[in-house]
Amino acid sequence: MSCVSSKQRALSRLRISFAVLAALSATATPSLAAAATQAELEAKVQSLAEQLAALQAELAQMKAQQGANSSSAPAGAPAVTSATAAPSSGSASPLSFFGYGELNYSQPRDNTADTTADLARFVLGVGYRFDDRTRLVSEVELEHAVSSSEDPGEVEVEQAYIEHQLTNSIFAKAGLFLIPTGLLNENHEPTRYYGVFRNFVETAIIPTTWREGGLAIQGNSEIGLRWDAGVSTGFDLSKWDATATEGQESPLGSIHQELALAHGKDLSVFGALNYTGVPGLRVGASVFTGGASQGGEELLSDAHITLWEGHVRWTPGAFDVSGLYARGHISNTRSFNSTKVGNPTLIPENFFGWYLQGAYRLLDHGRYNFSPFVRYERFNTASDYAALPAGLTPDTLADQKVWTTGFNLGFAPGVVLKADYQWFRDSALSDRFDLGIGYQF
Amino acid sequence: MTLPVSVVVAGEYLSVETAQRAAFKQADRFDEIDLTLNADQQKAILALAGPQPPHGKLRVWRATQSGQLLGYFFTDEVIGRQDLISYATSIDAGGKLGEVEILVYRETHGAEVKNRAWRQQFAGRDNLAKLQFTTDIKNIAGATLSCEHVTQGVRWLLALWQTTLHGL
Repeated sequence: MSCVSSKQRALSRLRISFAVLAALSATATPSLAAAATQAELEAKVQSLAEQLAALQAELAQMKAQQGANSSSAPAGAPAVTSATAAPSSGSASPLSFFGYGELNYSQPRDNTADTTADLARFVLGVGYRFDDRTRLVSEVELEHAVSSSEDPGEVEVEQAYIEHQLTNSIFAKAGLFLIPTGLLNENHEPTRYYGVFRNFVETAIIPTTWREGGLAIQGNSEIGLRWDAGVSTGFDLSKWDATATEGQESPLGSIHQELALAHGKDLSVFGALNYTGVPGLRVGASVFTGGASQGGEELLSDAHITLWEGHVRWTPGAFDVSGLYARGHISNTRSFNSTKVGNPTLIPENFFGWYLQGAYRLLDHGRYNFSPFVRYERFNTASDYAALPAGLTPDTLADQKVWTTGFNLGFAPGVVLKADYQWFRDSALSDRFDLGIGYQF
Repeated sequence: MTLPVSVVVAGEYLSVETAQRAAFKQADRFDEIDLTLNADQQKAILALAGPQPPHGKLRVWRATQSGQLLGYFFTDEVIGRQDLISYATSIDAGGKLGEVEILVYRETHGAEVKNRAWRQQFAGRDNLAKLQFTTDIKNIAGATLSCEHVTQGVRWLLALWQTTLHGL
């Protein structure tokens, strides 16, 4: 404050001096020159020149001081400034940019001709703070680098919602947001999980990155309890394609709507509870349930989908241990399935998956950290079908089992290099080696 | 002397004045100081503190009782996931950290950083070697960026005390 005030005073004095000089110039006309003697004018000019010199020196000193202050703050260091201003209510700009991305190389052991290299995800996000209580969060994702009718890529809006703070501990959300489920769905950036690819359970059973359009509220307490509840769009079983295998890969992933002209006749509700009151521990559960006919297929008019899961993550120091169990149920599919007998993919009644994962931060030195991990997963995308007349009910699928081991190597804040090997049991997939790089900012 | 300022914004969980009183109950004065660091000082602090997230505004007060220095009180801002977290902490005359208080949290993601048990992990620490994220200050899964950035910010403040404020 004092620095600013003295500068203002100096500038003010300078302006006055220039005004006086201008006035003197104006008076130095032949008609008025006679009113003042040459000696008086010279004395005044001399006096003003001395004042100007003093002001110039004062300004030069202030500029030098300001230059020293600003140049002494290297990138990444806090801005240490005059400490008399009130605390900021946020960053200077209400606009924020963020993003993440992941690139991978994957080589199957048995068929190297299927080796792929992919810019799997390239995501840019924009946030905007409308006021101290209301924010926009949005993310646009490009999958597989190129999106066109002849290329495999897709452009998607992954999130676009408004969040509004109702009280110090309760927020409301409206828009397209991530469903609070599992360990990965809301934390799906590559720096946040082990392995080049997201785990199978939170891909095939929980269709990460799973988002719906709707309204939600979230509360947090100081004792470490977070709760979420909401109403949103749900799944659309009329999209089920019994002739394709997509439904076997991920039953819910094949019928999600992602707010792309989503059918909204049957809304769903969801809730989640998480406890983090012990440092290093997260334990929680969630449920999502709702009708899924969306008025599109009469034989599925009573169909209802429920997905629930429970999870725990424990990070006592260098160890990082986690586990998750998820189970989905689709009811009232018998009539529909009976018309599709003979097709490869009928609607399952039940599907489930679980995994256990352990990691250890072997190296943690400055910007470098190195964490080997191992994960075991078991999942089944069709563990039961609704009973059809004798001989018509399809055989359930076998549980798929996957071992994954590898490492995450962080070498800059928000950047990770990953490598792993995956062994598949009772699966059509071949064992494979994966290499990837991911970032988040 | 600068009088303590009570901030009135949404999402504020604790005023600066209340946090100051909680940190130094015996203090009869909080004098805000104008801190100017030269390049060498900043370099030394960063070398001790380690990588830093983007910061917002830092303010520093001297807490005294009858003219006797009790310690320093800080308010600082670090980026959480997308927006700034305003937090406060203190360092006593012996160089020990007080509790971390979250003054303002502005986004839903990572709001678990407000947990009392997590914030209490900082109190009493005076050694940067024992102030490492995940090993000493345990993470909250789902709020990793907020936890990591607040930890890095507190490391910077402790490094500031050790290199500059200590002995002033």
